[in-house]
Amino acid sequence: MKLILIAARNLWRNKLRTVLTVLGGAVAILTFIALRTVLSSWSAAADFAAKDRIATRHKVSFVISMPKRYIDDIRAVPGVKQATFMNWFGGKNPKDPNMFFASMAVEPDKVLDVMDEMVVPPDQKQRWLEDKKGAVVGDVLAKQLGIKVGDRITLQGSIYPGDWEFNIDGIYTATRKSVDRSTFMFHWSYLNESLPDARKDEIGWITTRVDDPGRGPAVAAAIDKLFDDKDVQTTTMSERAMNLSFLGMLSAILGALNVISLIILLIMMMLIGNTIAMGVRERTREYGVLRALGFRPGHIRTFIMGEAIALGLLAGTVGLALSYPLVELGIGRFLEENMGAWFPYFRIAPETAGLAVGLAVVLAASAATIPARRASRLAVTDALRRVA
Amino acid sequence: MNMAMAESAVGNPIVDMQGVGKTFYRGKEPVVVLEGLNLGVAEGAFEALMGPSGSGKSTLLNLIAGLDRPSTGRAVVAGSNLKDMSDGQLAAFRARHIGFIFQAYNLIPVLTALENVELPLLLHSLSGRERRKRAETALRVVGLEERMHHRPNQLSGGQEQRVAIARAIVNDPTILICDEPTGDLDRKSADEIIALLERLNKEFKKTILMVTHDPQVAARASITRKLDKGQLT
Repeated sequence: MKLILIAARNLWRNKLRTVLTVLGGAVAILTFIALRTVLSSWSAAADFAAKDRIATRHKVSFVISMPKRYIDDIRAVPGVKQATFMNWFGGKNPKDPNMFFASMAVEPDKVLDVMDEMVVPPDQKQRWLEDKKGAVVGDVLAKQLGIKVGDRITLQGSIYPGDWEFNIDGIYTATRKSVDRSTFMFHWSYLNESLPDARKDEIGWITTRVDDPGRGPAVAAAIDKLFDDKDVQTTTMSERAMNLSFLGMLSAILGALNVISLIILLIMMMLIGNTIAMGVRERTREYGVLRALGFRPGHIRTFIMGEAIALGLLAGTVGLALSYPLVELGIGRFLEENMGAWFPYFRIAPETAGLAVGLAVVLAASAATIPARRASRLAVTDALRRVA
Repeated sequence: MNMAMAESAVGNPIVDMQGVGKTFYRGKEPVVVLEGLNLGVAEGAFEALMGPSGSGKSTLLNLIAGLDRPSTGRAVVAGSNLKDMSDGQLAAFRARHIGFIFQAYNLIPVLTALENVELPLLLHSLSGRERRKRAETALRVVGLEERMHHRPNQLSGGQEQRVAIARAIVNDPTILICDEPTGDLDRKSADEIIALLERLNKEFKKTILMVTHDPQVAARASITRKLDKGQLT
């Protein structure tokens, strides 16, 4: 018989309380994992950004457009392999205006080369190139909209008002997990030709592939220098930095999620602390007996801390076990299919799983510190007099 | 100072208390429980301690057992001067020299009888097999070898107290400290427990100090002392 056996068996003295505490802790861990997965999923696009791509936007903000002629200047910069531009279109599905997906006006003959993680079958690509009203959509969005190649669809423009008709010429899939499979792409020329003169020939941002990823910063600096003395100046950054600047707009939400995830863990800590404190109070007399038999204060602390660590480990493990089916198959699948623009890859990162279980154990041990110290410091005679 | 002197005469003194006093504090107000108490208990004695509630019986027992230190005087038990010992030294002293038998048995409910008896041996460097062998022997001595895998809630009060006695003797202590060992038992079970204590005293030469309110139980001890208002009479 080992000392730890007593700690482990003590856990089952009040089965209902232990089960409720473990379930409470597990729910907290599950929520923590889900929130951290939201954060990691949002930053996945940044983390998985291509190393050889840089992005150029208006120096003030990426919501302000730039002259289209900039693309030609950028293509001429030494070190630039390919470059293409895009405009945020902001299209809505008239049947479901609340449904969110990214819609962009692009250069069909360039975009799939620069964004080579988006794959369209060659025959569909050819069809798209030849069809000015043609569009290519991600497979997830196609499923959501219930459309297939050959269908026609009308979108309502929010940035460019009116009803816009498109032919679905192709469906792209992704070779990289961070890619949003819910994007709607169509010919920039279709958009441009339909605009009044005052809004013509404007582009949102330019994505550039460089010959040597190591020279990305130098090429970026060279691009910005080109436009230093122009009316519209630019900011060029790595794709990762560009993605992070998108996330920057959400920094308040990200910060709040971070704080909420920590508050949830603190609640779990208090829950376990309360269970341990109740158990310790009920067993004070037993600790007195153990001390009378010759056990030292350190032994008492070991019993109590061992119990708390076991409780934390149980809560962490159960929470983690619940989170995989719930987050990855339930919420994750739903978010990837319905909000792929925000959550292109909603999966539990191994470090999140490790952090959750680790924190559950550490916080449970921390929660038990005060009850353990009090119990170990109690005079033996006082402890023996205590009636549970 | 009113001092009482008592000494048993079975063997060499195993308990030697001289001018022992114990004062507790209720807030800032001192409460004197024992004062100038002298006591000698010979090795191998079986002594009963009687007295009204609040007379200081349990306090005296706690001092002898090394659960507490005297405020004044000298308390030497099994050759150790308890007054000057640290908490750690007192814990080691108890593990080596003292076997406790409580009124409420105080077994650990999540452990079997065998595991409860094994408990004090965890403090000694013994192999698992040796611990188990000794615990089984102790349970055999108290006649409970057939119930060794039962948990306390599966035993009667008398059986629980016998397990507690097995736990008290398993590490072969110098003194058995019994605080109302029959207080929670019916007459038949109480008689069995006292008979067991008598056997431990006679056959195994254990020194036994027992607090009791029951004159019939006290009568079975070789010496009965009476404590009143912190003084032995």
